[in-house]
Amino acid sequence: MTGVRSGGALVVTGAGRLGRETYLRITGDGRVSAYNGHVDLGTGLRTALAQIVAEELDVDPADVEMVLGDTSRTPDQGPTIASESIQIAAVPLRNAAAQARHALLARAARAFNAAPEELQVENGEVFVAGGDRRIGYGALIGEETIELELSADVAVKPVAEHRIVGTPHKRLDLPGKATAQITYVHDVRVDGMLHGRVVRPPYAGRDTGDFVGNSLISVDEGSIAHIPGIVAVVVIRDFVGIVAEREDDAERAMRALKVAWREPPPLPDLGDVPNALTSNPSTPRTLIDRGDVDAAIDGAAKRLERRYVWPYHLHGPIGPSCSVAHWQGDGLTLWSGTQNPHMLRADLSRLLEIPEHRIDIRRHEAAGCYGRTCMDDVGGDAALLSRAVGRPVRVQLSREQEHAWEPKGAAQLMEVRGGIAADGSPSGYDFETRYPSNRGPNLALLLTGVVKADPQPSDMGDRTAIPPYAYDDMRVVVHDMAPIVRAAWMRGVSAMPNSFAHESYVDELAAEAGVDPVEYRLRYLQDERAKELVKETAERAGWAPRTAPRLVAEGEIAYGQGFAYAVYVHGTFPGTAAAQAAWVAEVAVNRRTGEVVIERVVAGQDSGMMINPAGVKHQIHGNVVQSVSRVMKEKVAFSDTAVATKDWGSYPVLNFPELPRIEVVMMPRQSEPPLGVGESASVPSAAAIANAIYDATGVRFRELPFTPERIRAGLEGTALPPPAKAPSRPRRRLLGQLTTAAAAALTTAAVAWSWHTPIARIAPPDPSVWSAATIERGRQLASLGACAVCHTAEGGAINAGGRGIETPFGTVYATNITPDAETGIGAWSYTAFERAMRKGISRDGHHLYPAFPYTSFARTSDADMQALYAYLMSQAPVRAEVPESRLAFPFNLRAAMAGWNALFHRPGTLEPDPARSEAWNRGRYLVEGLGHCSGCHSPRNALGAEKTGRLHLAGGMAEGWEAPALTALSKSPVSWTENALYQYLRDGWSPHHGSAAGPMAPVIEELRELPDKDIRAMATYLGSLNDAPADGDLASLAARLASESHARLVEGHEAGARLFENACAICHGADALAAPDAPAIPLALNSSVHSDRPDNLIRVLLEGIPLPPRPLSGSMPSYAGAYSNGQIAEIAAYVRARFAPDRPAWEGLEDAVGHIRGG
Amino acid sequence: MRASARAAFRLSVNGGWHEVEAAPETPLLHVLRNDLGLNGPKYGCGLAQCGACMVLVEGVARRACVLPVAQMEGRRIVTLEGLGTPEAPDPVQAAFIAEEAAQCGYCTNGMIMSVKALLARTPRPSEQEIRAALRHNLCRCGTHVEILRAVARAVETTEVAPT
Repeated sequence: MTGVRSGGALVVTGAGRLGRETYLRITGDGRVSAYNGHVDLGTGLRTALAQIVAEELDVDPADVEMVLGDTSRTPDQGPTIASESIQIAAVPLRNAAAQARHALLARAARAFNAAPEELQVENGEVFVAGGDRRIGYGALIGEETIELELSADVAVKPVAEHRIVGTPHKRLDLPGKATAQITYVHDVRVDGMLHGRVVRPPYAGRDTGDFVGNSLISVDEGSIAHIPGIVAVVVIRDFVGIVAEREDDAERAMRALKVAWREPPPLPDLGDVPNALTSNPSTPRTLIDRGDVDAAIDGAAKRLERRYVWPYHLHGPIGPSCSVAHWQGDGLTLWSGTQNPHMLRADLSRLLEIPEHRIDIRRHEAAGCYGRTCMDDVGGDAALLSRAVGRPVRVQLSREQEHAWEPKGAAQLMEVRGGIAADGSPSGYDFETRYPSNRGPNLALLLTGVVKADPQPSDMGDRTAIPPYAYDDMRVVVHDMAPIVRAAWMRGVSAMPNSFAHESYVDELAAEAGVDPVEYRLRYLQDERAKELVKETAERAGWAPRTAPRLVAEGEIAYGQGFAYAVYVHGTFPGTAAAQAAWVAEVAVNRRTGEVVIERVVAGQDSGMMINPAGVKHQIHGNVVQSVSRVMKEKVAFSDTAVATKDWGSYPVLNFPELPRIEVVMMPRQSEPPLGVGESASVPSAAAIANAIYDATGVRFRELPFTPERIRAGLEGTALPPPAKAPSRPRRRLLGQLTTAAAAALTTAAVAWSWHTPIARIAPPDPSVWSAATIERGRQLASLGACAVCHTAEGGAINAGGRGIETPFGTVYATNITPDAETGIGAWSYTAFERAMRKGISRDGHHLYPAFPYTSFARTSDADMQALYAYLMSQAPVRAEVPESRLAFPFNLRAAMAGWNALFHRPGTLEPDPARSEAWNRGRYLVEGLGHCSGCHSPRNALGAEKTGRLHLAGGMAEGWEAPALTALSKSPVSWTENALYQYLRDGWSPHHGSAAGPMAPVIEELRELPDKDIRAMATYLGSLNDAPADGDLASLAARLASESHARLVEGHEAGARLFENACAICHGADALAAPDAPAIPLALNSSVHSDRPDNLIRVLLEGIPLPPRPLSGSMPSYAGAYSNGQIAEIAAYVRARFAPDRPAWEGLEDAVGHIRGG
Repeated sequence: MRASARAAFRLSVNGGWHEVEAAPETPLLHVLRNDLGLNGPKYGCGLAQCGACMVLVEGVARRACVLPVAQMEGRRIVTLEGLGTPEAPDPVQAAFIAEEAAQCGYCTNGMIMSVKALLARTPRPSEQEIRAALRHNLCRCGTHVEILRAVARAVETTEVAPT
């Protein structure tokens, strides 16, 4: 272009709601910018719009800057929905470009002294055919400002002259996307930006009812006091948000913040969609009532009444919602991924009580959303948090929040009454549809109570409610109803379920009539283009005509082919037709397991004019893949009160191995007006697949998804059982096991020794009296004893106490063992310290609880005890009061502990065993003394004393975790050897057993301070308690166990298997384990999977392992937020059955999960 | 979970050494995005389920949302930015661009990193191997067809190192 730098511009504007709106701008340097209120949701709209502008102006599409969706720069063209961007929203853009061209050519005509018809344009340069002189658009504008009023009446280029539109064109955004050069909204960074997270109420995914905005009881800000960098906790009714300097701290705070909520009211049982939807208040709306439906049905030779059920679906964008807001005192800038910027601006104006023109929404690319960001809740979240702190705040929703709270694709119920006449023709079509949805009010408005959460029925159930067939007697009624859970636009809206019904039913009519289903459709289709599409698609697919299901089978596999056709009608009734689509689906059905493989889909589409045929094909592929996923796999689950689907493990979507072969048939219609292509190819999916399964098996399936369970049950002629809802039983308190007699024994024994003499306070000793070597030795011993693990509170100073230790008898708070004279042990003489360590008696004479393992510490040598004292007294004193321990009777009587000591404490040092090696004796001293392994690893009796003899180190409990047996009683499938024990104690993991987690993890950290020789000695001693074969034999055993588990098929745990395959197998599956730096140790070897108790497996699932000791292992995420007790139980049961097949199934798993989660 | 104190960690990212200060269990994803300003790896689930956050660690494709920064000390990490630019893309990136193997592009990072690692260890994978390698990379837009084509093209255009 002959670009002359210049300040002029040609601008095409039109009148808008809040003032002039710009559609096109060409500046004096020749640059073209085009403005559209719609946004590119990843569909390639940006490229197609650029092609349209480029075509009218004869410039390169890559030279057109497309500005999409920014509220202060683009026209308000409503939400980007219903595939209408090309069909409707592009029309003024094309007109604006054509107007600009006409105006510029008129100028050029004067410059060339030629008629406009003689002029040609190439790459934005105007010339007379055959002439050498060229003038660029920029030069034609120069310094002038040329304003044009947008006109609806302008001559656009005839289709025959199109060179850019209708030609496959590479997407303009993809090079940037493949190289991380595109700034998604997630990537927006603003100076001074803080990070926000929200904490949502327990009524996940609900937006109707008095409890919405009224359920908060209290927020305990102290619960995140230990997390650094917290800037604010913002609470406005049920809106709770956290702002932090760092994103990871905001995330930690989100998980840690304790919030008390009222229990939400129950939901209707959404596992029973028909009942839930017929019970939901609704208003019938008759869309059509022609002929005499009732008479036609009464007169039918055969009547067919059918019911079709569609479940709730997730939009499920791969990137959870994100937004950055910057509140500037009287206005807001919002960086957003919304597909509905102008409506969001109106919502924010209401939320913040500022006029719309003070809000500037800058739209960025976001994850594909299929309707979800029509309701871009996170914009409201970010606005509220930024206003609270007066700085820019980026809010990122978690995956769990995204899944739980997104307004779903609604469940839908379609009921058809009708029949066939004796000649096989349809005899009456009485269609009713129920679709519980609204238009997605912004969640922040509801949570803050700005908008009352009243039922808001919408009218969106009518999309393609009228079938495309010439049913003479037809009535179509849509029951408009408010949502039950948040539900709004999702790709295909109600047209997809309605078409599932229409196209399944017409298939049934054909079968009843004994007519080929494609032939039957062609008889009653009215639209010629539809008929051509149907014929072309059937032919290209190799349609096999049939008059009954063909029931082709090889062994247990049955093969079928099914057809469906649909037109997607969008917008307010009667609406506008987008592209129409037809499918041939080919399936293989395993009649025994119920698994259905979609082998091939042939998708035909009449899109009218295709702006970018490559983009249209891409959209068809995308719709086929996504709709196969929805039909075959997807269904949102609910608890009694909320959405229960919160991750991809519980909501698997189509993956690569499941991808069918897809063939696309695009009808050549370039001379017709363009039709929306964003959704159409999804619409015939469900019926085509259902009809194919019918062709294969002779059984009709009328409810999605077509999971193996449903198909198997259908083939057996039985309905699927309702999901089991085990009533949660109150768990027997452990204390109940304590017999009255035992309690009596304690209190009686206490009479004898109830109090001990206080030992006089001393002035804190001067640490310089000890040598550095002694103090260092004491430091190692403190690590061996892991003093700091119990004596340090969350976020508190080392050894300053205050940590609550949960015991079966109540909470014991660890004391302050820094040398602070008032609150710590600064005033303790060595004598007082030694008495406490050996006898469990505090300096002031009161008894310590045996949560403090003095029964082991008593075995410490004098020299070591003195070194430990020296170290503890050399620490910096920390003043810290410790809460009173709260124990149940009789343990709340400290004096009773005297009785306990009399019964159970055997003080005294260990005599070396001359028959054993020095290492063994050293190991025993470390393990049984300061190491106090038995404190956790020995079982305890009813009074909390360690059991001895054969049960010494035979496995116990610690803080709700199982401390496994360290002896030959170990349940590990591969025995513990000295070498394995050494590696575990040294590095925190063993390739044949797993990684240290729970309370063992900090112990391993402490043991890092010990020399190798001591670790080896401990391993020598502990190894002698096991009778393991040679390491080499164990390695081959381990390999065999792992490979057998990979091949093992487990029946009867389908839900657990599905969760495992989609959530766990990524790291624990055979492929992951075979990779270099495998993220996990085979579950077939894992101690927690083989134990008698499920506790450790459940705890790891709930709590995760944030920093496992094995290098490059990665962390185990916590599933507490994503999974219900039932889901955790399903995974645990499946893991047990698959990876520990020789062990009995765990009983009462769901209760155990509930207990562990609650406790 | 007790909060761990921040500490300094040294990581090699895209060929350069960086020192970052963070709590040891902080996911590498946050460190890459927030401390190093990289945009390739994306947050998708935080549960290692979707693959949007994938990076190469010592040449192996890993999910950065579950990699504690403490385990990354001294490791060689490569992100999408480290492969190539629009002007000089890596062969896998070039293949994705040529086959238009993205719609929204949010999963593209993980797809490319997965394929990069796959081709490093299996330069001539079968289609079945490709599908298995991408089994846990989720794409919601349904770009699977184009992605598989891009991998096929990348296989053709990636030179196999002589063994």
